[in-house]
Amino acid sequence: MNRKKGDKGFESPRPYKLTHQVVCINNINFQRKSVVGYVELTIFPTVANLNRIKLNSKQCRIYRVRVNDLEAAFIYNDPTLEVCHHESKQNLNYFSNAYAAAVSAVDPDAGNGELCIKVPSELWKHVDELKVLKVHINFSLDQPKGGLHFVVPNMEGSMAERGAHVFSCGYQNSTRFWFPCVDSYSELCTWKLEYTVDAAMVAVSNGDLVETVYTHDMRKKTFHYMLTIPTAASNISLAIGPFEILVDPYMHEVTHFCLPQLLPLLKHTTSYLHEVFEFYEEILTCRYPYSCFKTVFIDEAYVEVAAYASMSIFSTNLLHSAMIIDETPLTRRCLAQALAQQFFGCFISRMSWSDEWVLKGISGYIYGLWMKKTFGVNEYRHWIKQELDQIVAYELKTGGVLLHPIFGGGKEKDNPASHLHFSIKHPHTLSWEYYTMFQCKAHLVMRLIENRISMEFMLQVFNKLLSLASTASSQKFQSHMWSQMLVSTSGFLKSISNVSGKDIQPLIKQWVDQSGVVKFYGSFAFNRKRNVLELEIKQDYTSPGTQKYVGPLKVTVQELDGSFNHTLQIEENSLKHDIPCHSKSRRNKKKKIPLMNGEEVDMDLSAMDADSPLLWIRIDPDMSVLRKVEFEQSDFMWQYQLRYERDVVAQEEAILALEKFPTPASRLALTDILEQEQCFYRVRMLACFCLAKIANSMVSTWTGPPAMKSLFTRMFCCKTCPNIVKTNNFMNFQSYFLQKTMPVAMALLRDVHNLCPKEVLMFILDLIKYNDNRKNKFSDNYYRAELIDALANSVTPAVSVNNEVRTLDNLNPDVRLILEEITRFLNMEKLLPSYRHTITVSCLKAIRVLQKNGHVPSDPALFKSYAEYGHFVDVRIAALEAVVDYTKVDRSYEELQWLLTMVQNDPVPYIRHKILDMLTKNPPFTKNMESPLCNEALVDQLWKLMNSGTSHDWRLRCGAVDLYFTLFGLSRPSCLPLPELGLVLNLKEKKAVLNPMIIPESVANNQEPVNSTSNHGQSVGFQNTFSNSQEEEEIDMDTVHDSQAFIYHHLNMLERPSTPGKEQSSGEMNMHPVLAAPLSVFAKESNSSKHSDHHHHHHHEHKKKKKKHKHKHKHKHKHDNKEKEKDPFAFSNSPASARSIRSPSLSD
Amino acid sequence: RSGSKHATTPADNYYLARRRTLQVVVSSLLTEAGFESAEKAAVETLTEMLQSYISEIGRSAKSYCEHTARTQPTLSDIVVTLVEMGFNVETLPAYAKRSQRMVITAPPVTNQPVTPKALTAGQNKPHPSHIPGHFPEFPDPHTYIKTPTYREPVSDYQVLREKAASQRRDVERALTRFMAKTGETQSLFKDDVSTFPLIAARPFTVPYLTALLPSELEMQQMEETDSSEQDDQTDTENLPLHMSTDDSGPEKENTSVLQQNSSLSGSRNGEENVIDNPYLRPVKKPKIRRKK
Repeated sequence: MNRKKGDKGFESPRPYKLTHQVVCINNINFQRKSVVGYVELTIFPTVANLNRIKLNSKQCRIYRVRVNDLEAAFIYNDPTLEVCHHESKQNLNYFSNAYAAAVSAVDPDAGNGELCIKVPSELWKHVDELKVLKVHINFSLDQPKGGLHFVVPNMEGSMAERGAHVFSCGYQNSTRFWFPCVDSYSELCTWKLEYTVDAAMVAVSNGDLVETVYTHDMRKKTFHYMLTIPTAASNISLAIGPFEILVDPYMHEVTHFCLPQLLPLLKHTTSYLHEVFEFYEEILTCRYPYSCFKTVFIDEAYVEVAAYASMSIFSTNLLHSAMIIDETPLTRRCLAQALAQQFFGCFISRMSWSDEWVLKGISGYIYGLWMKKTFGVNEYRHWIKQELDQIVAYELKTGGVLLHPIFGGGKEKDNPASHLHFSIKHPHTLSWEYYTMFQCKAHLVMRLIENRISMEFMLQVFNKLLSLASTASSQKFQSHMWSQMLVSTSGFLKSISNVSGKDIQPLIKQWVDQSGVVKFYGSFAFNRKRNVLELEIKQDYTSPGTQKYVGPLKVTVQELDGSFNHTLQIEENSLKHDIPCHSKSRRNKKKKIPLMNGEEVDMDLSAMDADSPLLWIRIDPDMSVLRKVEFEQSDFMWQYQLRYERDVVAQEEAILALEKFPTPASRLALTDILEQEQCFYRVRMLACFCLAKIANSMVSTWTGPPAMKSLFTRMFCCKTCPNIVKTNNFMNFQSYFLQKTMPVAMALLRDVHNLCPKEVLMFILDLIKYNDNRKNKFSDNYYRAELIDALANSVTPAVSVNNEVRTLDNLNPDVRLILEEITRFLNMEKLLPSYRHTITVSCLKAIRVLQKNGHVPSDPALFKSYAEYGHFVDVRIAALEAVVDYTKVDRSYEELQWLLTMVQNDPVPYIRHKILDMLTKNPPFTKNMESPLCNEALVDQLWKLMNSGTSHDWRLRCGAVDLYFTLFGLSRPSCLPLPELGLVLNLKEKKAVLNPMIIPESVANNQEPVNSTSNHGQSVGFQNTFSNSQEEEEIDMDTVHDSQAFIYHHLNMLERPSTPGKEQSSGEMNMHPVLAAPLSVFAKESNSSKHSDHHHHHHHEHKKKKKKHKHKHKHKHKHDNKEKEKDPFAFSNSPASARSIRSPSLSD
Repeated sequence: RSGSKHATTPADNYYLARRRTLQVVVSSLLTEAGFESAEKAAVETLTEMLQSYISEIGRSAKSYCEHTARTQPTLSDIVVTLVEMGFNVETLPAYAKRSQRMVITAPPVTNQPVTPKALTAGQNKPHPSHIPGHFPEFPDPHTYIKTPTYREPVSDYQVLREKAASQRRDVERALTRFMAKTGETQSLFKDDVSTFPLIAARPFTVPYLTALLPSELEMQQMEETDSSEQDDQTDTENLPLHMSTDDSGPEKENTSVLQQNSSLSGSRNGEENVIDNPYLRPVKKPKIRRKK
């Protein structure tokens, strides 16, 4: 859709253009967590008859709206507050459609909004001349639940002394949660931002701080910001708190902010940032677009990194001192990510949601380039492999991630993601995991484009986008250039073809316009007579999440004479490929073997097949296809690959493959890699775990000390007393990581009785005992934490006699030793806490392992106390994870309730999100499982949670949807009782053959299926087509109702007189015997007078075109000034007003 | 202390015995004075008086003796005491030799208190010839004898490490156990709360501070290692970033900020430019609007 439009310009969905917006927050009350302020939008009508202005606003209480100083009537209506009003409806399909429809109804990219302002009639003439309008809105926010997060520690002292702060947060465009705006990434304007805060506080926001002025009473000061670069409201942010300020010593226009007492950490953490700046500016040959940059580190962050125009908000937990090794690369990566998004994401914004992948892709791609430069090619390739594995696993699991969804008019294309339980039409309906994977795929695809057109061209394209944007940004609004700052898929592709002259359309079609990854199965045979390698490559393109690949595929063959690349053409029917070999199998023993990188090495070739010159074969070594390769070659080939192939990805693949070959030769290859210091440390770490697995498979024939023990002793223990580890010296990071990992892997060793060998346990206990960090420059907290992880890994299930109760008396002596250590470590943490409480986290995990294995009585009480608000977030997550696990294992309803209560009430959004996430990943039961936990009350509770309980946080709502899907599936939860009347009616309607089973899968999946406003016969017929087979599925009674309601509704329609208001009550009465829903629902609903008829139509609202939502709603609150005094809040949160948006669509 | 028949401690016994003796003395004096009988209460009163009197003599005499830096009262101390108490000492010999005085037999001494034998180790050294015999004996040899130790200090690496490790472990265990004993605890076993006591989890008001800030010890270490590196950054830290909420003097502060700023840049940057960062600029005073 967008592509056809070309890059000529951007067509605004709005009948006006926003040019400038003032946001003024003149009062912030930390005690009450409230905000008072106003906004003023300067807009130019683009059509003559503009009489309504739609804006986005959520949560805000709007007191007064004036347009050019004239009072204006307005309607506040948010259908996302409560998605479904039909309470008996509890199938997810229905919900997802309704939710997508609700989000559409207020989607700024479709010109919609929650707030509809009527232009006063006095101004109509003015508007007809397309003259400027100033919309002034006074609003307040009281205890916002999303969008703006207050952190107010409960202690003595002033707010500044307590370190109280507030910041904006949210997922995608969420600015509407804290001030009225056009909350779209495509509506750019200039900004003036003013914040009046306590004199001890600092307000950090976008753009340049022009001045700071005291108020007249000198108790407060006002921060004035100007942002002259046109910016989308969604990229506006705010952070207020008693921040410590650090001006970057290398770049004085960059300022860092952190919470009190953390300045030394801030200094260290940000000391590296200037190098990232230099890197990006150099590769993009473009100055950083804004005149200043601010980093703010805050507590209780929503996400670790959030990028906004000229500022980024980070989690305070990224701060670290020079003593911390492990956090340093992670934090630097976060900083680099944030900075990449400054260029692509903040400065350059997107035209529509379907162009999001370009921004995420470019910022992720240049971030990858930074990674390559900073951490080296090995780390980069390892990361790419990791990301690739992740996206492949996710797509195969869920059925595909689509980067560039096109929503056209065609029915087929309406729902490009029918395999998902949510709509991908809006960012706000996406599962968080999907969005993460989406970003991952986006940057991988950018890398594919780079492979195709070369990095040089790629960077030229970026440079072109940036220079266009920066030219546009300095222009006045009247020049109509601002849309150059928006990137679209078509514009991006056009740039690519202009710059490179190459056609990348097939690539785009394969990876961007369609979802799925490629699954290759490869095997080979060597034909000695022809000296040819016969390679067979099969594909699986029928499983969900896969697609067929046609095109070139690189295969690298390492022969005795060297390494050779072959490009195969993968076509429809060709499975076999003959590759001529260069070398004869006769081998010259003296000759060195040349490798891919030109290096020549001596190899011991005795393990080889004497007839074949092949050392190893790799399919798609450059990862230029989003694929999974399962390749078969013999064990010695994997071993050669591991030892001699220089690519870390190949080494890692070889390691994984060797797990299946537990032989002494594999053992030797792995041990050699472990010892080789030139080898990439991550490969060596991976080799540890593989070695442990091999040792376990070989347990009966294993000779010598336990795997890795002698190696560890040689590397890290004293020469004179091999049982004592050297005092810690972590100067060499590679050996540090190896030292950390080896014990963890060793603890996975098992003897013939499937127990961890006593020798290994004692060895780990000795490591703990002799651990001495006094002379170390670095902290050993991660090392100690991993030693505890190692202890946990050594635990095996307890031998239980007759389910005896676990007491101290029957405690296994080994476990006693482990417990002793855990107790001491956990207690010492109270006295000398470690960085990020890593040790507490490991202890909690270990205790859960002991519980789960039956050594210690299973009890969630300890974890629940650590999960309380007030503990460090990592500790809370670890504790919650244990509670989630307990809930599953012990099927505890009480704990599930406790968790769900926390989801609703916890002050930290990230914790709320994470609980749902963990419950989804480790669910107490799934849809095909019998469980005592699965009951009607739970369904109700979760339904309420996603239907109305989480309207303040998109991410949380989608998390609730994910959980609901995992627990109950798409159709009506099986634990719900069958509605009594359903069956009768089903019989009655037999003519229509409403097969209820298949409908949710097919019909409801369509985001906007049939336009069936009047022709119910057709609809019935439509459903009819699905009425065959599917006996195995349970009957979804809900859909039965749906259909009945549908039919009855249309019957009513025919009888209905033109004025719906009078007739509706009788219509309602008619419905009662028909619908099986509890009567109480209706009784309750009918109280809300005028709105009560809408729910009959409601089931089908998703079948209506969007247009329907634009109808005027006379029954809504129109507020003029006088009313406002009396009842200023009624419209803000009232479900009555919220639910009415689509109600009268048919009766109108 | 009547009727305390069940008194059992030696101190009580002595007390009772003394009291009894005094009563006998008082009775005999009364008899001497010609009384045939006396009420018990009267005897008690007199006994009390006598006891007080004797006690006072003793206390006073002790004071006198200590006053002259001695530990044992001498006769003269007693004499001075008696004089001080207004007693004519001259009359005492005559009174003592009066004819009608009654002789009281000494109270039977039961269970002579056994002084616990002091620890003796070795033979006490005899006095050397130049010390007169009346001087106190030498104390036990262990109190002054020095035994030189010639054991090699432990320098074996393994033993040292062993020692350090077990010492640290013991200290940690003792400390945590103590903390667990004195505070609230949690337990993994319902039936046993003492074997693996876990100090109860206590939420913090500002959890990130303890989690992120290095301990003081670590801070010290850090400063030692990279003090040179931090030098050029320290001055930005001291910039007056936080206006205090002190109402009285935002104006004063402004000027001081300016001064500090300029002095800072002057001293540090020399010819370099002053850092121009909007967050370091002084806060402006509000404009005074003159309306009406």
